[in-house]
Amino acid sequence: MKQLTTEQLQGLEQDLDAIRNDVLADLGERDARYIRRIVRLHRTLEVGGRVMMPFGFIPPVFAAAVAALGLSKIIENMEIGHNVMHGQYDWMNDPALNSQTYEWDTVCTGDSWRRTHNYEHHTYTNVIGKDRDYGYALLRLSDDVSWKPAHSLQFINYILLSVFFQWGVGLHELESERLRRGEITLADKRQFLKAFLRKGGRQAFKDYLFFPLITLPVAPIVLAGNIGANLMRNLWSSTVIFCGHFTQDAETFHEQDCENETRGQWYLRQLTGSSNFTGSRWVHLLSGHLSYQIEHHVFPDLPAHRYREIAPRVQAVCERYGLHYNTGSFGKQYSTVLKRIARFSLPDSLRLRLSARAA
Amino acid sequence: MRSLMPQTPSLHWLGKQLFNRDDPAGFFDPLLEQLNPMWIRQYTPARVEAVVTETADTKTFVLRPASRWTGFEAGQHVTLGLEINGVRRHRTFSLSSTPAQWSRSGTVTLTIKRLPGGLVTNWMHDELAAGDILSLGNAFGDFRVPADDEPALYIAGGSGITPILSQLETLASRERSAPVTLLYFVRSQADIIGAERLYTLRQRWPEFALTIVTGDGPQPVHLDDSHLMAIPGLAQRRCYLCGPGGLMTLAQTLLNARGVDDERIEQTFFAPPTVAIDSQGGRVHFSKSDVRIQSTDDTALLDLAESARLSPRHGCRMGICHQCSCRKTSGTVVNRLTGQPSGPGEETIQLCISVPRGEVEIQL
Repeated sequence: MKQLTTEQLQGLEQDLDAIRNDVLADLGERDARYIRRIVRLHRTLEVGGRVMMPFGFIPPVFAAAVAALGLSKIIENMEIGHNVMHGQYDWMNDPALNSQTYEWDTVCTGDSWRRTHNYEHHTYTNVIGKDRDYGYALLRLSDDVSWKPAHSLQFINYILLSVFFQWGVGLHELESERLRRGEITLADKRQFLKAFLRKGGRQAFKDYLFFPLITLPVAPIVLAGNIGANLMRNLWSSTVIFCGHFTQDAETFHEQDCENETRGQWYLRQLTGSSNFTGSRWVHLLSGHLSYQIEHHVFPDLPAHRYREIAPRVQAVCERYGLHYNTGSFGKQYSTVLKRIARFSLPDSLRLRLSARAA
Repeated sequence: MRSLMPQTPSLHWLGKQLFNRDDPAGFFDPLLEQLNPMWIRQYTPARVEAVVTETADTKTFVLRPASRWTGFEAGQHVTLGLEINGVRRHRTFSLSSTPAQWSRSGTVTLTIKRLPGGLVTNWMHDELAAGDILSLGNAFGDFRVPADDEPALYIAGGSGITPILSQLETLASRERSAPVTLLYFVRSQADIIGAERLYTLRQRWPEFALTIVTGDGPQPVHLDDSHLMAIPGLAQRRCYLCGPGGLMTLAQTLLNARGVDDERIEQTFFAPPTVAIDSQGGRVHFSKSDVRIQSTDDTALLDLAESARLSPRHGCRMGICHQCSCRKTSGTVVNRLTGQPSGPGEETIQLCISVPRGEVEIQL
């Protein structure tokens, strides 16, 4: 990690706080209108998708229905659910947009997400051993973890994780790696498992049982369409999230790095451990503005549509302190993610020899 | 089906499964409010029918609540919800119309005075117009009309007249012979709220005695013993006080001295928030666990709660993760990160960076 002097860290803290305070002071009508418009878009897409789905025996209608329902799930998870649960809209005092009570359209319960993502991941970002989002205890993405033969097949694991992403996220808090190591027992996770089965059951009931059954003559079409919509959401959200922290230049940290850290040091870790990608307005919207992962990690509770507006200021702050502002096209960033997954599936000796030859 | 949903347990259960929310009927609100805002299910909507100017700083808002609104008794209040610059604000006001009007024409009125510096009342005066939608909570409060054979005395100050107008008109429409007196204190003739309604009542209701005490200048006129001396059978009367704190305390003392004991005295008023104190700290009431704690410095609510052996859910303790977000039901807190004080109403706050200022009640 790039080292800054104490004065520089204080300056960094002040500069970023200034951006944050400017946005906070300006929150109001415009932000409320924005999120309400997105919520309306979500409702329109979901209702439209569900209504069209039974007519999916007509191929173009099927495609439109799957796209509408898939997009509705993407928007609800990424731009509404994830951001609302961060408390980005708590200031609106609207119970339907409250961070502590919001429940989203995916297997993971809101409560589990608030614990594992809002607290663990956002507080201990990229700290190996403390941020369980780094590789999801499934993938080896840095040499801080020693290589085991099983890692050589991790690309298959990655594809499986992406396909079943909502179930993977839902089970994240089970801490299966600690269960395997015997550090905890299933009994410790009883509460979690109960909540997981309830929410997972609810989601499966809705998409794979209820909606197919009430349209019985065309049940297979509706079932297939709902599976397609969920798959579409799973692949997209997994891809976006992997681009946020696992690109080539996103840094990792050690536990001692974050002991007694100041807000300035926390800011520095967020800036250097995250990565953005560029794209059109729609790409940003569909990624829940996680395309501005750097801004999101520095200011997780500012309304996400503001990230685009403040990005030039954050980039200027990075330049002032000589920090790398990690961004690039979606294709470029994602290819470095795939390379990282592939490279670290190899034993270190082989990986180092290959990269030496490439250089 | 949407109106059936809250009442039918099986539909409600199904709605929860399908829409992932405890108020499934509210799922369609964003679409339906585009068609007709009165179809909103998340709260009880009310449409502003008209805005009537009463005095230079007081207006009456005529509202038509959705038909599922549960009604009220004369003297009760309601909590209004309005959205001001993207933020939903809640304030409580007394209803100034009668229950009879609600059952006859489906409208209710709120008579509201501009509070100097007040965010909500000023916004209502300046921005709220016919056709706008706001939310209306269920009526509450135990400021109830006297029994039919019970003589009564009302003492009102300023905008404290509003729930009394509702009660007087309700009493006037009943068959009763017990006397009713109103002592109404206002700054000047021009500040009398509901003057026409009061004079009409005096004309057609023989048992009603009306005394309006006005001053002529900035000095307020005070209640004194001579006002009470003039009221026949004072000790038998049920007394109703509504107005500024000073008037109510004074009235209570004078009534006690004249032999009216406290159980015959009813009071109500939503006093404007007192001027924010400079020194930080204050008395905090954690309402769910019923723990009270005094703070004398800038300790955050999360630390205060923990020092009182409560264990609220929390995370980063630095204002990032919102794990400790919690409902504040009343009082003002200062955000430690921004130094900004909150509003006095009900809202969600982060315990780890909120410092109490004065009396605060937290749902914890």
